[in-house]
Amino acid sequence: MDLEIRSGPLSEVALAYLQARTRRHFLRSLSGGLGTLFLGGLASKLVPSAKAAGAETAALDFSRDARSPLSPLPPQFPAKVRRVIYLHMAGAPSQLELFEHKPELKRFDGEDCPESFLAGKRFAFISGVPKLLGSQYPFHQAGQSGQWISDRLPHIEKQVDDICFIKSMRTDQFNHAPAQLLVQTGNPRLGYASFGSWVVYGLGTENQNLPGFIVLLSGGKTPDGGKQLWSSGFLPSVYQGVQCRSHGEPVLYLDNPAGVSRPLRRSMLDTIDDLNQQTYAAFGNPETVTRIAQYEMAFRMQMDATDAMDIRKEPDSVHTQYGSKPGEASFANNCLVARRLAERGVRFLQLYHWGWDSHGADAKEALNLGFNDRCREVDQPTAALLADLKSRGLLEDTLVVWGGEFGRTPMRENRGGQVMKYVGRDHNPGAFTIWLAGGGVRPGISYGQTDDMGYEIVKDPVEIRDLHATMLYLLGFDHHRLNYRFQGLEQKLTSVKAARVVAEILA
Amino acid sequence: MNPPGGIVDEDGKSSTTPNHGVLVQFRFGLVMLAPILVITTLVALLPPDGNERAGWLQFIGHFHPLLVHFPIALFLLVTILEIVGRSGHFAYLRLSVNFVLVLATLGAISAALLGWCLGRSGGYSGTLVTQHMWGGVAVSIICWVCWLIHSRPHELSAAYAIALALGVGLVAWTGYRGGQLSLGANHLTEHMPNGLRNLLGVENDRVASAPRADPNTFYGAQIQPIFTARCINCHGADKHKANLRLDSYRALMRGGKNGPVIRSGNVQASDLFRRITLPVSHDDFMPKGKQPLSADQVKALELWIAAGASSSLAANAIKITPSVPPAPAEVKFEEVDTAAVARLRSAIAPTVTQLQKQFRNVLDYDSRGSADLRLNASILGSNFGDRDLEAFVPIAEHIVAADLSRTAITDHSAAAIAAMKRLRVLRVMDTRLTDATLLRLDTLSQLESLDVYGTHITAAALPRIAKLPKLSHFYAGQTGILPGRPVPEGLAKKVIF
Repeated sequence: MDLEIRSGPLSEVALAYLQARTRRHFLRSLSGGLGTLFLGGLASKLVPSAKAAGAETAALDFSRDARSPLSPLPPQFPAKVRRVIYLHMAGAPSQLELFEHKPELKRFDGEDCPESFLAGKRFAFISGVPKLLGSQYPFHQAGQSGQWISDRLPHIEKQVDDICFIKSMRTDQFNHAPAQLLVQTGNPRLGYASFGSWVVYGLGTENQNLPGFIVLLSGGKTPDGGKQLWSSGFLPSVYQGVQCRSHGEPVLYLDNPAGVSRPLRRSMLDTIDDLNQQTYAAFGNPETVTRIAQYEMAFRMQMDATDAMDIRKEPDSVHTQYGSKPGEASFANNCLVARRLAERGVRFLQLYHWGWDSHGADAKEALNLGFNDRCREVDQPTAALLADLKSRGLLEDTLVVWGGEFGRTPMRENRGGQVMKYVGRDHNPGAFTIWLAGGGVRPGISYGQTDDMGYEIVKDPVEIRDLHATMLYLLGFDHHRLNYRFQGLEQKLTSVKAARVVAEILA
Repeated sequence: MNPPGGIVDEDGKSSTTPNHGVLVQFRFGLVMLAPILVITTLVALLPPDGNERAGWLQFIGHFHPLLVHFPIALFLLVTILEIVGRSGHFAYLRLSVNFVLVLATLGAISAALLGWCLGRSGGYSGTLVTQHMWGGVAVSIICWVCWLIHSRPHELSAAYAIALALGVGLVAWTGYRGGQLSLGANHLTEHMPNGLRNLLGVENDRVASAPRADPNTFYGAQIQPIFTARCINCHGADKHKANLRLDSYRALMRGGKNGPVIRSGNVQASDLFRRITLPVSHDDFMPKGKQPLSADQVKALELWIAAGASSSLAANAIKITPSVPPAPAEVKFEEVDTAAVARLRSAIAPTVTQLQKQFRNVLDYDSRGSADLRLNASILGSNFGDRDLEAFVPIAEHIVAADLSRTAITDHSAAAIAAMKRLRVLRVMDTRLTDATLLRLDTLSQLESLDVYGTHITAAALPRIAKLPKLSHFYAGQTGILPGRPVPEGLAKKVIF
C-alpha cells in the first residue's frame, strides 16, 4: 500500500502490484479508515492521552543506511546487558548429573518407573517400563549461596555465587534439531531468525570491522539443527551469524591468496562494488546492498578478525586459566576467543559444544564415560570465561547463558526395551536446567523447581519464549516491539504465544 | 377412601377379600417388627464409641450413605401420592401407596442397620451421631406404623395423616443430622450470602460455636483457627473421629485413640504433622478427602510444634514469613514518547550529531527514550587519544558510561574525564592512565563501577577512590594494586581482582 511508484525498473513491480489490487482491497481499506477516523475522534475526546498512547505503540524504527546495516542503534530502554555470550551445550546435558540434586530419585534407583511417568508421553528411545536412575555423581552445596552442584564441574562450582540457575525450563520439542531451533530461533521450524540475528538487527554492533554475530563450534560436529541455528531467517541476511574458526584463518579464505596484495584486493573490491551498485540501481534488491556491505566487512576483517581471533597473543597465564592450546579446535580456545571478541565490541557470541547426547548407546555418549569428557572439556573454560569477564569488569554488562535444548529423563534409557551396556538417559522436554550469569541477572539463586524425581516442573515453569523475553528485556527491549514485518505479520522472536519476562531472576 | 388392602379391578370390586388381606398384612407386619426391635436394641446397648473397627462391619457400613436416600425419597413419595391422589383425576395414584410404603419401610430398616454398622465401626461418637441414629430408628418405626394403619378402616385415617406428617418431619430432621455428620455442622448455612444470613438472623455457627482461645497467644491466633477451619468437622464436639478432638488445646494435647498427636518440640514425631504433610493419596493423609492444608498453615503448625507447642506462647513469639511468594512480579516496559525525548535532547543534539559523524559508532544515546549518552572509544583503540576525548567535553555532563579501554589516552585526559560528572561506569582498561588521573576523579559522585584493569594504578590511589560515594565495583586486576593487601575500609568488598 505504501509502495511508491518510482521511475525506472521498480515501476514494473509497482504496476504488477497495482494490477493485483481489486475493488475489495479499496473497500476494505475504506472501512478501516472510517473506523479509525471515528475511533480517533472519539478516543481523543474520551482519553486525553490517547494520542500519545497511539504514538507510543508505533513500531520502533530499525532502518539504517543501506551501506552500514550493522551500525549501532540505542536500545528501546536503558539496558543492563550490552552483549551476549551463549554457550549452547548441543545434545542436551543431563541436569540430573550436574545441577539437579534429587536424593529421592537416588533412593528409587533401579526400581521400575511408575506408570504415571509413561502415560501419554513420547520418548525418543525409551520403550516399555524403564528403571529409575539416580544421579551417577555425588552432589554437594557450593559457594556462599549454598547451591547444589555435582562433583563434575569443580571449576564452575567456584563461580556458583555469580550464577542464576533456572531449573524449570520447559520446551515442547523432544528431538535435537527442532528443539535447538526453538531455543535459538523461537520456533521449531526452519526459516526463522535466530536470537543473535534479532539482537544484531535491534542493536547493531559497535565494531564495524568484525561481524556483530559470531558463531564458534567445538566438539567435532555441527549441532543437529545445522547452520539454520544462526540463520537470519526472514531478516536481511546481513544479520546472520558468521561462523568463525578458532585456529587457522578465522573465516575460510579470509586471507589474500599468494600474489594478491591488499591494494590489489582493494581495487578488485572497488570494481565489484561498482558492478553491484549498478545491479542495485537496476533491480533495487536490498540483498545487493547487503552483499556490498559484506565484501567491505570482509576486507576490514582481514586485519581485525585475524588479530582478534589470534589467541597466541594471550599470555601463558591466560592459557593456563582457560586450558586453551593455540592451534586446536576446542571449547577452551573458543571461550578465550569469545572473551577477546566480547572485548572488541562483538554483540552476540554463540558457542556450540557438541556431544552431550548421553543416551548410553555407546561409550562416547555414556553418562559414566563420554559425559565425563564433556564435563572436563567445558568446566574449566566456562569457569575461566566467567572469572576473566568478571575481573575485566565485563561481566557487568555481558550476559552469559549456558544450557542445552532440553533435559534428560530420570529413567535409564532402555533402547528397544533392553538393558543397555552403558548408562544413559533419554530426552526429557518437560524439565531442564539453564543458567545465566552477568549483567542484570540475580546472582547466586535457583529459580523454579521440579518434582522429587526431577521429571516434571512443580513450580515456576519457564518456557523458551519466556527466557527469550527475559534476555531481550535485559538487552533493553520489550519483546513485543523488536519486530520485522514479514508475510503480513509483525514477526518477533517470541512468536505469537504470550511470553513473560521472568522478573524474579532480574537483579 | 378406597377399600384398603386390595387391588381394585375394573369393576370396582376387590380381587381379594378384605379379611384375608388384613390377615396377611398383619403377619407381614409382625415379621417387619423383628428387625425394628433388633436395631433399637443395638442402638440402645451398643452405641458408637469413637473407635474404628475394620472388617465386615465397616465394609457394609459404608453402604449406608448410598442406601439412605431410598427410604427418604420413598417416604416423601408416599406423602406426595396421598396428597395428589386426593384429587379425583389422580385417584389411581393411591393404589401404589401400599407398595411404596412397604419399600420405604424395608429401606428405612436396612438403612438404619447399615447406619449402626457405620457408626459403630467408623470412629463416630458424640451427640450428633446419637441423635441421627435415634432419628433413623424413629423413621423406621414411623414407616412401619404408617404402613400398618394405612390399610386400616376409615376411622384411623386421621391418625394416618398425623403419622405421615410426623414421618416427614422426622425424615427431614434425621437427614439434616446426617448431613451435618458428613458435611459439617453448618453445611446448609455455610455459604449463605451475608444479606440473607442477616435477614434470617443465622449466625456463622462454625465461628460462633468454635471454642475461643486467647487471641494473644500464638495458639489462639494461628493454630486454633487452622483446626477450626479445616479439622473440627470430623474432630470436634459433634463428631470425634478416632476419638480425637481438635477444638480445644486440652483435647488436642490429649490426642486420640492412638495416643498423642503432638509431641512438643519434636515436629517429626508428631503424628498430626506427619499426616498433614503426607501425599494426598496416602491412606493416613489428613484432612481425608479434602484439600491439603496450605503451605502457610503447615508452616505455622511446624514452627509452633518446634517451639514447644505451648498454649501460652505469645502470638508474636514466632515470625511467619509467608512461604507463598507474592504474585509473580511483572516488569513494566517503559514507553518512549518521541516528542518528549526530542525536547530532552534538543540542547545537545547538534553536538551529538556532529560528534557521531566525526567518530563513527562511538557515541550514542543510552536508550531511545533518554538524553543520556554512552561513549565507547575502546573500539577505536590507539586511534583515539587525549585530543579526541577533548572533543566530547561540551557534552561531558550527559555521558553516563564511558569505555576508554585500550585507547591512547594519558593523564592529560584527567580533566575531560572529571568533567563527566554523571558518569556511572568508567572503563580505562589497558591504558596509560596513572594514579594522577584517579586522584582527580572526586567529581564523579555518581560513579558505581570503575575499571582500571591492566593499568599502572597503585595502592596510593585507593584512599581517594574509597571516597567515591556510590562506587560498588572497583576492578583492579593486573595493576600495581596487589590482591591480599589491605585496602581502605570503604573499599573492602568492592575491589575485584
